[in-house]
Amino acid sequence: MFSKEILLLIGLFTADPAPKFDAQIVPLLKRHCVKCHGPVTAEARLNLSTPGAVLRGSENGPVLRPHDLEASPLWKRIAANEMPPEDPLSADEKLLIRAWIEHGAPGLPTVAGLAATGDGHWAFQKLSLPNVPDVAQTLLPQNPIDRFIQADLEHEKLSLGPVADRQTLIRRLSYDLLGLPPTDMELQAFLNDGSPDAVERLVDQYLASPHYGERIGKVWLDAAGYADSNGYFNADSDRPLAYRYRDYVIRSLNADKPFDRFVREQLAGDELIGWTPDMPITEEVIDALTATHFLRNGQDGTGESDGNPDEVRADRYYTIEGTMQITATSLLGLTIQCAKCHSHKFEPISHREYYQFQAVIAGVFHHEKWIKPNERFVLAPLPGERAAWEVRLAAAEDQTQLAKQKLAEWLTANRPRGKIAWSDGFDGPPESLAERWSPKAPGDDAPGGEPAVALNSAAAPGARIINGQLQVLEAGTAGNRWLVTRQIFDWTPDAVGAAIQVTFDLVDRRVDPNGTPAERTAYYIAAHDFDDSGAKPGGNLLIDGNPATSTTVYLDYPGADQKQLGAIGTTPYTGGRNYGVRITHQKDEKFLMEHLVDGVPEEKTLTFTEDQLPDGAFGYEFCCGRSYIVDNVVVETFDQPQDIAALAEFVKSVQPLKTSMSEAAKQASALKNNPPGKLPWAVDLTPNPPAVQWLNRGDYGSQKEPVGPGPFSALSDDEQAWPESPAENARTTGRRLAWATWVTKPGSRPASLIARVQANRFWQHHFGFGIVDTADNFGLSGSPPTHPALLDWLAGEFVRTDWSVKSLQRRIVTSQTYRQSSRSPQDQLNADPDGRRYTRAPVRRLDAEAIRDTLLYHAGILNDQLYGPYIKTDRASNGEVIVQEKNPDFARRSIYLYQRRTQVVSMLQIFDAPTIVFNSVRRTPTTIPLQSLNLLNSEFVSKRMLEFTQQVFADDRPDDERLKTVFLRLWGRPPTTEEYSAAQKFLATQIAERGGSPEATRQAWLDLHQMLFAASAALYLE
Amino acid sequence: MHDSTWELNRRAFLASHAGGLGALALTSLLQDQKLHAAEARRHAAVSLTPKAKGVICLFQHGGPSQIDLFDEKPMLRKYHGKPYPGGALETHFDKQAGNVLGSPFKFMPYGQSGIEMCEHLPCTGAIADEICLVRSMNTESVDHEQALRAIHGGKLIAGMPTLGSWVTYGLGTENANLPAYVVLGDPGGLPVDGERNWSSGWLPAVYQGVPFRSGSSPVFNLQSPDGLTGKMRRNQLDLLASFNQSFLDRHPEKSELAARITNFEVAARMQLAVPEALDLSQESEETQKLYGLDRPETEEYGRRCLTARRLIERGVRFVQIFMSGQPWDTHSKNAEQLTKLCQRTDRPSAALVQDLKQRGLLDDTIVMWTGEFGRLPISQGPDGRDHNRRAFSLWLAGGGFRKGYAHGATDDFGYESVKDVVTVHDLHATLLTNLGIDHRRLTYPMDGREASLTDAEVTKCRIVDALLA
Repeated sequence: MFSKEILLLIGLFTADPAPKFDAQIVPLLKRHCVKCHGPVTAEARLNLSTPGAVLRGSENGPVLRPHDLEASPLWKRIAANEMPPEDPLSADEKLLIRAWIEHGAPGLPTVAGLAATGDGHWAFQKLSLPNVPDVAQTLLPQNPIDRFIQADLEHEKLSLGPVADRQTLIRRLSYDLLGLPPTDMELQAFLNDGSPDAVERLVDQYLASPHYGERIGKVWLDAAGYADSNGYFNADSDRPLAYRYRDYVIRSLNADKPFDRFVREQLAGDELIGWTPDMPITEEVIDALTATHFLRNGQDGTGESDGNPDEVRADRYYTIEGTMQITATSLLGLTIQCAKCHSHKFEPISHREYYQFQAVIAGVFHHEKWIKPNERFVLAPLPGERAAWEVRLAAAEDQTQLAKQKLAEWLTANRPRGKIAWSDGFDGPPESLAERWSPKAPGDDAPGGEPAVALNSAAAPGARIINGQLQVLEAGTAGNRWLVTRQIFDWTPDAVGAAIQVTFDLVDRRVDPNGTPAERTAYYIAAHDFDDSGAKPGGNLLIDGNPATSTTVYLDYPGADQKQLGAIGTTPYTGGRNYGVRITHQKDEKFLMEHLVDGVPEEKTLTFTEDQLPDGAFGYEFCCGRSYIVDNVVVETFDQPQDIAALAEFVKSVQPLKTSMSEAAKQASALKNNPPGKLPWAVDLTPNPPAVQWLNRGDYGSQKEPVGPGPFSALSDDEQAWPESPAENARTTGRRLAWATWVTKPGSRPASLIARVQANRFWQHHFGFGIVDTADNFGLSGSPPTHPALLDWLAGEFVRTDWSVKSLQRRIVTSQTYRQSSRSPQDQLNADPDGRRYTRAPVRRLDAEAIRDTLLYHAGILNDQLYGPYIKTDRASNGEVIVQEKNPDFARRSIYLYQRRTQVVSMLQIFDAPTIVFNSVRRTPTTIPLQSLNLLNSEFVSKRMLEFTQQVFADDRPDDERLKTVFLRLWGRPPTTEEYSAAQKFLATQIAERGGSPEATRQAWLDLHQMLFAASAALYLE
Repeated sequence: MHDSTWELNRRAFLASHAGGLGALALTSLLQDQKLHAAEARRHAAVSLTPKAKGVICLFQHGGPSQIDLFDEKPMLRKYHGKPYPGGALETHFDKQAGNVLGSPFKFMPYGQSGIEMCEHLPCTGAIADEICLVRSMNTESVDHEQALRAIHGGKLIAGMPTLGSWVTYGLGTENANLPAYVVLGDPGGLPVDGERNWSSGWLPAVYQGVPFRSGSSPVFNLQSPDGLTGKMRRNQLDLLASFNQSFLDRHPEKSELAARITNFEVAARMQLAVPEALDLSQESEETQKLYGLDRPETEEYGRRCLTARRLIERGVRFVQIFMSGQPWDTHSKNAEQLTKLCQRTDRPSAALVQDLKQRGLLDDTIVMWTGEFGRLPISQGPDGRDHNRRAFSLWLAGGGFRKGYAHGATDDFGYESVKDVVTVHDLHATLLTNLGIDHRRLTYPMDGREASLTDAEVTKCRIVDALLA
């Protein structure tokens, strides 16, 4: 049923008569042939994974001759269904191969070209020193980039396009280098700058901006797999210090740190500076340690692993493998994970080499002394920071103490007393206990529990008065009992606002100073019938005081019908404080229960009905070895108007004291938990990590012999020997530094690859696609470069300028290639339909962060503060992930928002911000209706445009001037005549539609602004 | 201006627009070589005769206990309370492993086919002759997250595209005004592993499941701003279209810009289409009752099952119904929890199959009821069961699956699938086959290779012919 569509697609391809080698033939060969005829398993010595190898043919000679099907064994074997032996090609696929050969097998290199580059894969060779080609077009500026591009174009009688106008250019530069639109002042200055080097000076200005690092930093942070959470498990726990690595990256790029140094720091900063714990801490030391967090960017579930030992082991391996994958793709553009189980089928990376690489980082991922994510920090305060912190902490703790004391004093003097309905200070003789207390509730015939509580007895379970205090003594057996007052109380005061409360001092949670503290201090109110045999429902409310968390309340306790009602209060039960509950009659026959600590009601409350609070006694629960000491039990009622008023007054006036105490305590504890100089880092602590074992088929349970660290052979050469083992007494293995040095050694093959991969990355940033399309894969299975000589020249220039990213970008963005207009005459479009020959600048959509940041900018509220801990995001009740507007950091740039793997800010996600699993080397911009809904209807967009509208109405100016201004600000250019009159017409209609009032006018303008921002002219860079 | 390049793009655009929303967004990316090739492959992969057009997956988070629900084991009763005689078992929580725990539930044969299921599944029993029960499933991990990833994405690791993403990548949608892949989340909250259960992984984001929430705004930003009438919105859209058309005229080579124009119209239509699809008041009282909307225990789940039918009816390709947290994870009070969960899900799940059948939709629609793994024959603590990756049961209905059939078997204790074992990869291969997709050819470039859901070369999966009608 789809054959028609296939025909259509083939029809599309026949517009360009030959099938495309890269897009159509290579995938087909890879899918069907490379399994057996690849770089590793080259059956019949035939390798069909690279153009060169296809041309070379098999042990029996060439496999194809262009234009000649009969002389092409490749075709004949495929046509006869001999190859592949199982699962032959479909008719459509055969058609493609056939057409390709018939058209002369375009895309294969010439024999001469192959001889020049040698046998190996292009990306694994040392950088060539390509001559900057001569071009016929002599009017061009002398930027070598343009000569490479132009030379290629001249073969086809094409040429670079004209330079874009200034408005277009400044917008392109500003977004590419800063991620924000140009300011009005920058725009005006640039438009008025008549000097020949106006562009160069603008570029320098942008490269010097502190916001440059925020934009370019994101390019590397995506590639490095930076995230603020651990991922892996559902919990996706927090990674609170990771932001310091993010800031390190921004800082390093702002400082234009040589990229090779940047790489060495991230792999081995600690080894690079020879870090020891007693070393004096400087900014450089902090950078070197923080940089190594790069090796901790991967997902890591080992903080939450709770399964059997096999699972725990698998979780650890998973962390290591993720780190290896990120390192290989981001630095070297190599996909290595296939080699975890077997030698790579497409790349020259053996199974063994995978584990040699693992051995390089084995010190960081020590299987026997595994360090969980939240323990991966070091305290490296700058001189004086620690002492200053200690002073601040002591002051904060004093402050807390003072506030506590003040509150206590105030409470003693001001705690409101109602009418005392009953009290016991346990000051009478021991035998007086029975006068006031009993194991039986008043009116009940059976004691609470078996055996009943013995009064005035030192034998557990028993209760006795000692030193004017009540001791509750409980044996270590299970079972519920109670000791209750002989008096009953009315727990449902009649008048609205009236209250009854019971309070007592918890002297100590243990009777024996050496004993175990009671795990609960529980008590009853409305106690009336322990075994529930009576007719009266409700009551027997157990207030279950907990030493760790809030207090739970049960109804009808104990027994099968007991019901947990919820929790009250927040303060745990500890000795030396006064606890209790207050019941207040609210309106509608509802009764509020508040938890009292030192007489002060707390926040979490419960509400009861009258039925649930029958008349009954107060009492203590005896259970399960919980012995403790209490004193001063007081039952008070507040039923007189003046008492009720005093109560209300008390609650009001205690609040500020309470707040200042809890604030002080919060500050002290925050300070205590955050000692200065807390850095995230790789944490490598030993020169002797356990041997890394080669895993049979990648199975964690099936270990082969141990392997040592070593380089990838495809990139190593004789000139550069692998370093010896580290010195004696070394703090670590030194393997990471060895690898980092190997990989960045000037002039070496790996350094050449790094330079190519990074040059391509920044090129991709400026054009939307790379010279190599597969930014993460420069291997045999990756795409070949469209402009190999240019790539090598750029990479070489990058190295020659001491690995300066800024110089590289300056080269790129000052080229005419970059500065071209994005509009092309039709014949150029036909000749260069996808723009990869660079006859025009590509039209690119703004990335997610730029869209959000631009909205904040237009709203006039963008907060451009640099650096710092991530900004919290929340999942709103409708599931949307947002930043709360009340958050003081709400309007900061998107790079500072919480990069939680499972909680990407919805708006950013809709516009293709990546969900980081490993890393992201390229974002694929999509066009989906959810983006349209966001721009049309979202509260975030509407509010920002409302703020924008308020700004443009802040002064009084004629409408036509205002209209021109809003176009200029939202699109960065004035409208065309048609656009201007369409907007005018819209305003007239919409104002009328909205009722014509001044308010309607504003609304209509807002409606216009929102459409201007939703328009392609705002969302795309031309 | 209607030169050949423009015409080329226009044709590509129109051709794929016919394929629906997914294809629409994909086309906009045709400039990207990688996707250009992928588009050709997508078409090539959809090469088999389809038996089904859509899928509804009733996902039972936590690992439903196969030996208490679908797979009766008399030996468990015989050995109840005694040590497991078969030697060491793989557990998740080593320290709490107890003795053999017999199922307290009665099993009985249902329907003409006589498939045995437990007493708490009377409604599923009533559709016994429609379902294909697989008793011999296994998976690769006893860890929830990893097993979830295996059954949704074919790999233990996070970040893979899920089944629904692959299906919508392959088939697009039949209703451009609704998302192709809809997730009906539990109002109680996200399931374990959250959004990753419907992630498009490294497939383009357009293939991600779109969660519909209960309440007035089922999709983010579905409601126009307050006070904006239809007429005012129309004015806005017309203005926007004129701006965007003039921008497209400046860059005719960029087909994404044409897709963007269309998308604003699609978005406006979605604002009407989504609430209409979710409006259950249009359903008869009889239908509402069938799904248990009149009973408190089934109302919520029933609403989502009924909604799933309405979405499939309107051309949505893939609907997933999830549960909050992982309710089937019965580490304690196994029997008590299962009873409650059956009360909640049995009637609505069966109603969905019945209703689809009555409306003639069942032949075209696959309904799948499954969790991520099963549970152990021994107790955990006094009355719970721990995870088991070696055996679990699931059922399929409609869409080319065999009716009234129970497939495969586990050992005497239900610990391990031993006869006609079906892996999660086999399941994926078979599901894709019924949808007319060649599972080996539905690929997308990833990490330097053509990656697929089933990764047949590594997983050695096969299509389970016995499950097919």
